[in-house]
Amino acid sequence: MLFHDEALLREEIIAKYLRRQLDATSTEEFESHYLTCDECFEELRLSQVLLEGLAQPRIDRRYSGGVAVLQFTRSAQLTRRSAEFTVLSQSILEQKDTKVLIDLSRVSRIDSAGLGLLMSCYSHAVRNQGGLKLLNPNSAIRELLHVTRIDAVLETYTDEQEAVQSFRQS
Amino acid sequence: MQIDKESLDKFRLKLRTKVRYHVGSFCPDEEDLVQETLVRFLRFAEENRIRNPANLGAFLNGVCNNVIMEYRRRLWREEPYEPELREGVQAADREAELVEDREAIDTGLCQLSDRDQLILRAFYLEDRTRAEICNALGVTDTQFRVALFRAKERFRKIYRQSLKRRAATSH
Repeated sequence: MLFHDEALLREEIIAKYLRRQLDATSTEEFESHYLTCDECFEELRLSQVLLEGLAQPRIDRRYSGGVAVLQFTRSAQLTRRSAEFTVLSQSILEQKDTKVLIDLSRVSRIDSAGLGLLMSCYSHAVRNQGGLKLLNPNSAIRELLHVTRIDAVLETYTDEQEAVQSFRQS
Repeated sequence: MQIDKESLDKFRLKLRTKVRYHVGSFCPDEEDLVQETLVRFLRFAEENRIRNPANLGAFLNGVCNNVIMEYRRRLWREEPYEPELREGVQAADREAELVEDREAIDTGLCQLSDRDQLILRAFYLEDRTRAEICNALGVTDTQFRVALFRAKERFRKIYRQSLKRRAATSH
């Protein structure tokens, strides 16, 4: 088996197998191999465990001065196909909190779908007499918010206390 | 052809993974499918009907595929026996097993750096090519390869330690 001796190729096959993107012939070949190869099976099991953990994004929700502060517990990306996208929309659009501060310190990338989601969440909060603000975006995201002029609507802060107080003033 | 107990235990574990992959993690008949595959396989082995022992994996895989296919056909035809009772008990067992696993997985992931997590996530979870990932991370293919294997190795160590610790505290 070519993939048995080539570690990166094996990892690619494992990743595709677990994402169910391997064609029927390759799936058959890979399964036939790992049934008698302990090394490849061990790599498959570990990748399976890893994928299970990575696929479960978590958002911490805590309250500070009546404001719900949401923060990703792991590094995250707000992009069209990311799992965090779904989790964040559920955390805001399906919850009662209307004063929401999203801590973006662990978010490395946002695409147009992610920006759209932030705007939907903002509209949802405003419709319910609340507000939505952002905390600690990285420089690339800050630039993106500026270029798209979203920062004129979504206020951005670097200090949590200051952000929470701004909800009282508005 | 003789199959020793150690090999049989390994086959059982691997077949469980394959069966779960094809019929789902919470299938109440998972163990029955694994057992049926092994029974058929051992019968073939005892009767020396495995013509090419070098392709044992392909043979076992074929047997398992047949068992899964027959199971699916049977499901179409008939209702499973006492489905609620069996599903309830087995699903609860599997859920408990998963919670244990998840705690160890979380421990493993939390101790990885953001960069390690980013690399692993990009490779295993996201539908991106290696070139796209390298481009996004600003690294060469070789640097990415090294970073990926180091990150997986770190996770392996922490995850195993965490599992061992949990096993020790539960005894």
